[in-house]
Amino acid sequence: MKRFLILLLVVAIAITFSFVGCAAEEPAAEEPAEEAPAEEPAEEAAEEPAAEEPAEEAPAEEAAEGEVFSLEDIPEIENKSTLNTIVETGSIFDETLPYIEKFTEKTGVEVNIERIATPVVYSKENVELVAGTGVYDVVYVETAWTDEWAKYMVPLADLAAEYGSVEEFEMDAAYHSPVIMETCKTDGAIMTLPFYSYHTGMFLRDDIYEDPTEQANFLEEYGYELAPPVNNEQLTDQAEFFTRSAGEELKGVPLEKDMNGITMQASAYQANDEFSTYLWGNGGDYVDVIKDDSGAVTEYVITKENTDLMVQTMEEYVGRVQYASPGVLTANFDFVIAAVSQGDTPIVGMMYGNCFAWAVDELNQNVVPNDPDARLGIYPPIGKGPYTGAWSFGVAAASDNQEAAYWLVRYLASLEAQTAVMKEAGQLATRSDVLDDPIWYTEENQYPLGMLVDYLNDIWNNQDYIDTIANAYYFNSESAGKVTEMHMNTLSKGFSGELSPEACIESVNRQMLDLVERHDSIPIRVEE
Amino acid sequence: MSTTKNDDVTINNVDLGRKPSVWEVLSSEKYFKWMLIIPLLLVLLVFMIYPLIYSIFNSFFDADLSGRVAVGLKNYKDMLRDTDFWIPLRRTAVVTVVCIVSEILIGLGIATLWNRNFKGENVIRGLILLPLLVAPLILSIVWNFLLEYDIGFINQFLAAIGIGRVKWWAPSGALFTICGITVWQWFPFSASVLLAGLKSLPKDTFEAAQVDGAKGWQVFRKLTLPMLTPLIMIIVLLRTMWLIRLFDPLYGTTRGAVNTELLDWMVYRTSFVYFDVGYGSTLAIMSLYLTIIIAALMYRQLIKALDASK
Repeated sequence: MKRFLILLLVVAIAITFSFVGCAAEEPAAEEPAEEAPAEEPAEEAAEEPAAEEPAEEAPAEEAAEGEVFSLEDIPEIENKSTLNTIVETGSIFDETLPYIEKFTEKTGVEVNIERIATPVVYSKENVELVAGTGVYDVVYVETAWTDEWAKYMVPLADLAAEYGSVEEFEMDAAYHSPVIMETCKTDGAIMTLPFYSYHTGMFLRDDIYEDPTEQANFLEEYGYELAPPVNNEQLTDQAEFFTRSAGEELKGVPLEKDMNGITMQASAYQANDEFSTYLWGNGGDYVDVIKDDSGAVTEYVITKENTDLMVQTMEEYVGRVQYASPGVLTANFDFVIAAVSQGDTPIVGMMYGNCFAWAVDELNQNVVPNDPDARLGIYPPIGKGPYTGAWSFGVAAASDNQEAAYWLVRYLASLEAQTAVMKEAGQLATRSDVLDDPIWYTEENQYPLGMLVDYLNDIWNNQDYIDTIANAYYFNSESAGKVTEMHMNTLSKGFSGELSPEACIESVNRQMLDLVERHDSIPIRVEE
Repeated sequence: MSTTKNDDVTINNVDLGRKPSVWEVLSSEKYFKWMLIIPLLLVLLVFMIYPLIYSIFNSFFDADLSGRVAVGLKNYKDMLRDTDFWIPLRRTAVVTVVCIVSEILIGLGIATLWNRNFKGENVIRGLILLPLLVAPLILSIVWNFLLEYDIGFINQFLAAIGIGRVKWWAPSGALFTICGITVWQWFPFSASVLLAGLKSLPKDTFEAAQVDGAKGWQVFRKLTLPMLTPLIMIIVLLRTMWLIRLFDPLYGTTRGAVNTELLDWMVYRTSFVYFDVGYGSTLAIMSLYLTIIIAALMYRQLIKALDASK
């Protein structure tokens, strides 16, 4: 018996020591870089004209002339080892999983999918990527993280050269929104391919805006026509105009409950997206991104002009909070959608475009039975600088099956998978050929999907906006992942009044200096 | 007494007449007892001592995931000068005091009611214990929805009965909403512990007090409360340690906004959002020191209370 116990103890000790070994092991941060140097391929890709030019010169129309990549185009994959990836929880991947199973059927490569809540995707993936564990073969990337994680991923053109055709890859990549593709590149090299988008927009109750009584009353009170607001003054005026108590009239009918002029998401969850939208709309950014003649970022500068614009944007935002529900201070997108779709507000100043169909569906269930005219519209947010959001996929440098990972990324961004994203999962595809499908303009789909498609096409064809995104701090920075989290936290303190606008922006600037100095290879300075 | 002498070839007082094998040495009484606790010690070493020492080590470095540079006591100096540290620390103290006082008062009240026989008592006890059985994060997310201003059930209910909506998450009151959620989840713990205490109180002492003419409040103040003091001290001790590390209700509701950032949220934000591991470790170690100091002080009080109750 004793011998058996001793044997058991020896095994336990061995296991424990193996834990010690694991825990004590230094993160192999250098290894992935050594195995697949991130810098070099990126530079090579940037130097190699073939990597850049076709993407710029081959618009979707030209690309459409070629064969569209599909599952059948994936060649025999030699490396059959299982792929691992991480994605968000949520219905979109419920609908996408069958397509990943199709990939497995076709290639014989199993795919393990870890699903976790969106707020923890960044920290979980970041630890694994920095440590070079290779746990995730396929990296799930939000647009603001591309540059930060570029050194842990392989430029997709390099993989295309090794496992397929660069020309075909770039031709297929050209189908995606040019705006989103700007966020998928680092130093000109495509690091990820987008999967679904959440470009933001402004949601308005069209039926209220078009009501003759409301239009006449507004004209009388404010001296100009009631129409979708195009500047901050108009947005605030309209938020004030529509703030009403129960018993007051809306469209000539007494309200049964209070109505808030506007709703916002001022919580510490995604407050930065809303602020970014208004800040970009005002013509500012968190810092100026300085580039050299080759387009490489050389410096970030905290300018007086941007600081003033941030304070101004914060003041405008706080000025509108008084016309919003007190709940906005802790509201996320779900509460905002609930507010508009239950008839509690006619204006959502900024909301993710992929929530539009959901909001319409909810409005149809909650408000339309009592008000058959109730209808939502989607418009550009003030200043036409919507937050550019997309989730995309890249291939980890530390992956031991980059071949299969590459083809999975290609497939997830393909016409077939993206069509499923829009038709089955109800999210917004990033491919022009999906958006060009006439199905969105049928009588059944025109509202809301046709409207959404028109809105996205408008954004994607706006060159000013494309230039803004190409030069925005979030999409030209290795430190953006950390900074966005700081922005969520600190900006929400400004929205709620915990910090004054000046103190809030001063805190944002101070923390940006610290975070950028700590986490970015590009220097930052304050303008003298 | 066992002895193991490789040269004398005796083991457990038995002369083997040869050199003992490894098995025989390890199974001797002298070493076997150590063999039994070594796995536990190793587990403690790996999962408790090592991370703790590693955190203390990191607190002397400017560290992130990619590397570290020694900075001596800079992180500690920065912390003491950082208003972003003192404000959450003060809030943590407020939350700790408010929650503990509320939980003990409510718990004592509930335990007193429970300490009677009534129909359906087991069902009611089971229901009251339910919040303790659910993950705090899930509960806080549910409360976030229930307390939402426009669509939250509680406000809709209050509006329906004419009271009107309450700004549960207004900057002036959000911290107390967090306290409310925490108290709601944890008062059953106090109630359960205090009920056990009430059940174990000596009946003859109370009967004697009644004979002497003591009234309800006098009995409670002079007898019940002193006898329950050691248990109350245990609750205070445990809850203080847990409340200093309060995190879940923030994650599920305000995420540290609207004047609710507490010490552990700051540790999380610094370490796992900004990945400023050095400063985050410093904050975590400070949280640990505070917990140890407060726990040690309370432990002394607990021992005194136990001595007094003997």
